[in-house]
Amino acid sequence: MEHIYRTGNEGREVFWNAPYEAMLFAFTAVALIIFAYGLYRRWQMWAAIGKAEKRTDSAGERIMSIIVNGFFQARTFKESYAGILHGLIFFGFFVLIFGAAIDATQYHIGLPFFHGTFYIVFSLIMEIFGLAVLLGVVMAVVRRYITKPDLLGYREEPDNTPDDAIILVLIGGIIVTGFIVEGLRLHVNINVDGFTWGEWSFAGFILSKTLTGINYDTARILHKIMWWTHAFLALGFIAYIPYSRLLHILTTPANQYMRSLKPAGYLEPIRDFETAESFGTGRLEDFTWKQIFDSDACTRCGRCQDGCPAYLSGKPLSPKKLVQDLKTYWIDRASAQLAAKKAGTDEMPEPEKAMVGDVIDLHELWSCTNCMYCMEHCPAFIEHVPKIVGMRQHKVLMEADFASELQLTYRNMENNSNPWGVGAHMRADWAGDPDVKTLAEDPDAEYLFYVGCAGSFDDRGKKVSQAFANILKAAGVSFGILGTEEGCCGDSAMRGGNEYLYQIMAQANIEVMTGYGVKKIICTCPHGYNALKKDYPLFGGNFEVYHHTEIIADLIAQGKIVLKKPVEGLFTYHDSCFLGRYNNIYNTPRDILKAIPGMKLVEMERTRAKSFCCGAGGARMWMEENIGERINDMRTDQAIAVNAGSIAVACPFCLTMMTDGIKDRSMEEEMASLDIAEIVWEAMDIKGADSAS
Amino acid sequence: MNIIACVKQVPDSEALIKVKPDGSGIEEAGIKWVMNTYDEFGVEEALKTREKHGGDVTVVSIGPARAMETIRTALAMGAEKGIHIDDPQLEGADAYTTASALAAAIKEIPYDIIFCGQRAIDNDSGQVGSILAELLDIPQLTIITKLDVEDGKVTGIKPIEGAQLVIESPLPCLVTAQKGLNEPRYASLPGIMKAKKKPVDIKDVAALGITVDIKAKVAGMTPPPERPPGKIIEGDDPAVKAAELVRLLREEAKII
Repeated sequence: MEHIYRTGNEGREVFWNAPYEAMLFAFTAVALIIFAYGLYRRWQMWAAIGKAEKRTDSAGERIMSIIVNGFFQARTFKESYAGILHGLIFFGFFVLIFGAAIDATQYHIGLPFFHGTFYIVFSLIMEIFGLAVLLGVVMAVVRRYITKPDLLGYREEPDNTPDDAIILVLIGGIIVTGFIVEGLRLHVNINVDGFTWGEWSFAGFILSKTLTGINYDTARILHKIMWWTHAFLALGFIAYIPYSRLLHILTTPANQYMRSLKPAGYLEPIRDFETAESFGTGRLEDFTWKQIFDSDACTRCGRCQDGCPAYLSGKPLSPKKLVQDLKTYWIDRASAQLAAKKAGTDEMPEPEKAMVGDVIDLHELWSCTNCMYCMEHCPAFIEHVPKIVGMRQHKVLMEADFASELQLTYRNMENNSNPWGVGAHMRADWAGDPDVKTLAEDPDAEYLFYVGCAGSFDDRGKKVSQAFANILKAAGVSFGILGTEEGCCGDSAMRGGNEYLYQIMAQANIEVMTGYGVKKIICTCPHGYNALKKDYPLFGGNFEVYHHTEIIADLIAQGKIVLKKPVEGLFTYHDSCFLGRYNNIYNTPRDILKAIPGMKLVEMERTRAKSFCCGAGGARMWMEENIGERINDMRTDQAIAVNAGSIAVACPFCLTMMTDGIKDRSMEEEMASLDIAEIVWEAMDIKGADSAS
Repeated sequence: MNIIACVKQVPDSEALIKVKPDGSGIEEAGIKWVMNTYDEFGVEEALKTREKHGGDVTVVSIGPARAMETIRTALAMGAEKGIHIDDPQLEGADAYTTASALAAAIKEIPYDIIFCGQRAIDNDSGQVGSILAELLDIPQLTIITKLDVEDGKVTGIKPIEGAQLVIESPLPCLVTAQKGLNEPRYASLPGIMKAKKKPVDIKDVAALGITVDIKAKVAGMTPPPERPPGKIIEGDDPAVKAAELVRLLREEAKII
């Protein structure tokens, strides 16, 4: 198709100087066959191991997830440098592939509009996005091989594979050869054929200027060579996808589509205690296929590890490493499974390594604080925490092999319904001053104040309960407690793998609460709040559950709480994971603090969704911390770094951990940790709640 | 090996103990009942011995219907079967009567080694294991913190003031367990589920063929005197406060 170069017919001959169309088709077919075969093999491996799980309901929500997280890369962009480099490559490639498709359509079918202004704009866009990809690749090379951030490795050791380099060379190569092809074409087109719109393809145009002096016949030959190199690289890229981390182009969006639509931190309850023979995930086969598929959607980006309190404090756990280790194990096991099937046996060969203990070290399992940083920031929506808790369940429920201090905690919960093991009859002892009625005494109370174990038994926690009860009384809120009928919420048991004990605790509470016809519940502990609000409904406990910060904020808005006494010094607010990442409550506690006269609030470096755990979640509250640095000390250092005099918290576990951190750093004179309820009660400046109400 | 572990159900050490108004015993309402701590060491050692030498572990307990929970706890930990001696006549039994009932039940079954806690944390008598050994006419190793069972004999370590005794005995024998002997295991969930189906023989005094004649009876029970509240010496001058402390320690507390 000879092109006539004249004004009004701006355009070019597509596939100029590139004959052998049939060969291109043949090579494309080969590439696609290699691609399809690889994908088929992978599909077989995905299907080889794992229990059933449905992840295709609510299609609308899932499609939105792909659009927001897949196409618009919402989570990827949360880290700016990596987000931009990935965006440059992704959007650049996306546009270039469209461009190639338009080129091909023009060549084979003919596009009536492929000339004039359209052509010029098209050329310009291709040029810009081509350069965008190139810039992205350069940024990636700089990051991976020069600046080497720790999240691209494990403990200062980069986890680069040859695959990473191959892919960058492929992508960079496609773009560079593309520009060279363009430059050579322009060199001939402009100087021989009278092509006059070269400037619009500015990169190729500049390149063509450097080629002055090259004989046009030589240029045509070079053009052919480079054109085929370009084609082979592009086809090689396609063929390579299923055999490399490029597979994430498919698996990551697939995982974004199949993401958990359950509330943050959701753990699937065990339902068949009486009949099941095994509990938790001791073997790979005990995972659902989706939990295994997760590992194939992991791109080793390391965002999970970048804010993981266990990893950053020097413990063996890295969520990335855990997922990658599971992936390696799965590939091994799935291959063995497929080989066994091929050999005609259905018998799965016994694994050489146990999943729990060998592949995943027990210290990794028990280092997790369930803080949800990893899951909140994973662009691929991998579900690390349920995997970890599943494996903990195996250790606790099946093997009863876990830390002795946690065994003691569980016995305490069994015998006295609190992890401390204080006599259950002492649960309401905090409530002498102020005097608080139980629901047995006042069944018409509007709210149940579910005090929780820390608020009932821990000396510091009791002060928070008293402060909050004082606030409620002063604000004239009708509330009651369960007194000694209250039980432990069970969160630590659940997250520590003792689902059986958790359900006993939950059911006992639900029974008592339902018995009193409870409708609205206030919790001062985010662990109880999260369990009652999100987990209890699974067992028939349906209540309106509020955290005390929500209630306090509301009372301030209604004018029922008047904050008179100014506070002194610099405050910082430490986000509780179970309030923040689990329940998206970030602003409410800050709004309360800001409503206090004289409040000077400063944010720590790691804050809100990126907040650093205190170290006590996921049953870690009850366990010794023998490996690495103490997480609470690290968090305290972060507060010290912003010169905070008071660390405001909204969780009794955080309160304990921050208080201990302050002691460990010998900062008791300069600093204090306070619950928001205590700060508010102090600012209300009322002596004795009864006199005010 | 045929291994026996005797267990007693006692109030949880954190439970609120209230003495009945007539002083005949404690109020049982609201009390959480658990396995006696020292018996847990006994059960654990029984299970360890079985794991090493094979055989089975039989749990024996005396108590009302609720004591079944404690037997099930031991079965959940891994014991094979249980004997529950449940008879109102044994309520308030002294150490001798208790040991007699246990002996009557144990005599009927084969045994190589018997484990008891060194004492129960409720009555603190510390005699049942020893009397049981005497009634069965077998050697006893009491208050043992380390045990080795090998080649038909046992070697136990018993700490005493300033030293430790290494005690050897042939089998069969009776061992009373002291803290330090082991770390009792946490029951696995399959263990808990299986325990519900494991066999437990329920026997009364008639079935054991003994007559109950309790000699030592609890004549009365009184709660310990309430601890007077602590005293905080107020004031700003440390020297004055120290002087006041000395005066109080000398004149009120009479300890210096």
